[in-house]
Amino acid sequence: MNNEIDILKRALAREKSARKSAERILEEKSRDLYRISQKLETLLAEKSAQLQGVFENIIDAYVIIGIDGDILKFNDAAKRLFEYNIDEEPINVVQLIFPEDHEYAMNSFLDLKKYGYFKNYEARVLTKSGEVKWVHINASIVYDVGRVPIAAQGIVRDITEIKNLEVQKEKLLKKLEGSNDLLQEYAHIVSHDLKSPLRSIDALVHWIKEDNQGQLDETTIQNFKLIETALEKMELLITDLLDYASIGAKDTLKEEVNLNDLMRDLQSILFIPDHIKVIMPKKMPTVIGDPIKLQQLFQNLIGNAIKFSDKTKGEINIDVIELEGYYQFSIKDNGIGIDQKFHNKIFEIFHSLNKSKSSTGIGLSIVKKIVDMHGGKIWLNSELDFGTTFYFTIEK
Amino acid sequence: MKGIVFTEFLDLVEDKFGLEMVDYIITKSDLESEGVYTAIGTYSFSEMLQLLKHLSARTELSIDKLLLVYGEHFFSVLETSYPGLLASYKDPIEMISSIENHIHVEVRKIYPDAELPTFTVVDRSEKMLIIDYTSSRAMHHFGLGLMNKTFEHFDSTADIVLEKIKPDGTEVRFVIHKN
Ligand code: HEM
Repeated sequence: MNNEIDILKRALAREKSARKSAERILEEKSRDLYRISQKLETLLAEKSAQLQGVFENIIDAYVIIGIDGDILKFNDAAKRLFEYNIDEEPINVVQLIFPEDHEYAMNSFLDLKKYGYFKNYEARVLTKSGEVKWVHINASIVYDVGRVPIAAQGIVRDITEIKNLEVQKEKLLKKLEGSNDLLQEYAHIVSHDLKSPLRSIDALVHWIKEDNQGQLDETTIQNFKLIETALEKMELLITDLLDYASIGAKDTLKEEVNLNDLMRDLQSILFIPDHIKVIMPKKMPTVIGDPIKLQQLFQNLIGNAIKFSDKTKGEINIDVIELEGYYQFSIKDNGIGIDQKFHNKIFEIFHSLNKSKSSTGIGLSIVKKIVDMHGGKIWLNSELDFGTTFYFTIEK
Repeated sequence: MKGIVFTEFLDLVEDKFGLEMVDYIITKSDLESEGVYTAIGTYSFSEMLQLLKHLSARTELSIDKLLLVYGEHFFSVLETSYPGLLASYKDPIEMISSIENHIHVEVRKIYPDAELPTFTVVDRSEKMLIIDYTSSRAMHHFGLGLMNKTFEHFDSTADIVLEKIKPDGTEVRFVIHKN
């Protein structure tokens, strides 16, 4: 019996000590917890301050809006942009929207709610002083931990200047178009005015020759011939110049051009002498472009090939291959060829290699301008005396 | 070693053999804690060894046998104390394979000073698992008891063969075939 009481007494003593030691451990634990929570609080304050710093120092305006549209936060840039101090005067986002852009704004808000964000919103806003500014906004919804939307945030960029520049550019383009039209008219008048004295000279020469028939010596007759040739060349030069000026002055058409039809038309326009054979591909593609200019392009290149043929059996080979994104055409002749040292220069205006009476040196400049307009490139391969191949590409 | 291992152990001893046995093994041992344990404390493993040794001598049951029974009892402690951890498993083999990489990882988060064994999965299929136990405490039979109850928990049984890799039991292979 005594023994049993002793056992119980010892058990009780152990339980009591155990309880005390448990209490001590718990006490220490709660002190630990307190220290940790203090530490976390400091850390939180530090992080919040950092975040606040980031928020204030973003160069673009940064705005947080409540679900009801009330502005909750403006960073400094936003305060400067909208000129409101939201700490003193509460405002709603609706007040900031330029009335004409209201519908666009509301639709964007619906997108924001539906998808959680919107991008590249561009519209006008009203500042406190009534100034209208263009802004670009990327915005997204802010959710709480349970994915419940609590606010929206947006980065707002002032694009007023860019927009103004765009408007200015538009105006300038309009003006440029106007002056191009004027220039075009002017070129016509000038070419007419330039050509009429030529015609007068031509007529006068003709009269002088007639009035003095039989009295002129061989040298004078020869000189008159030279005058006539020079006049013809001058007229051709004026015509070509006018052509060159008109390309690009008027709107370029963009339509489907069946090159098979184009080639058929060309064959009836071009004079192809009997000793020259023109070989064409069975089927030419249909491209998008300006039909008149494309015809001019082929006409010039094939015309050149005919003009500079010096062999007893001339051969002109036209070909096309289809590459990714474009067609590559080639026009190959076995004519006089072009010296390597001129290859870079021949597309420059007035750079005629051959001082013949039928060439002004403008033709290849026109060709290049047309290829440029169709988003292509032009180049050549040539060997003196053996012939020339012109290559050019046209975008599909 | 966590205090809960001691308090649960002494409760079990009291249950099976009476308070007198508890008093006996504590007074017989030379304990730094003087036999005062609280579940939230941490105590030296050598105290557990002494308690086991005296209990084994007095009851004439082997230490392994005692640890096995204690392991089986300890599983019910886990069931009541950590139901969330157990609920994430549907299958005993899956659960035992995850002690090392999940269960005891979580245990360490709660008790940074816990002394835990290492389990290495050697081979595993749907119905079979070979897993190696490594611990300086050589409590393999405690593990065996836990494993038995793990199968029971999922309403299944298994044949578990225990092969000592090191004679002192600090490294042991469990070959488990689920029935
Ligand atoms: C929810 C599941 C489990 C929990 C919460 C848990 C928790 C613990 C805790 C608290 C300890 C004591 C650590 C110390 O004394 O410092 C321990 C030890 C141990 N656990 Fe687990 N355990 C779980 C499942 C298992 C399972 C399924 C096994 C199966 C083999 C296992 C094997 C062991 C062993 C063998 C020890 C003794 C320590 C040693 O051998 O070094 N445990 N566990």
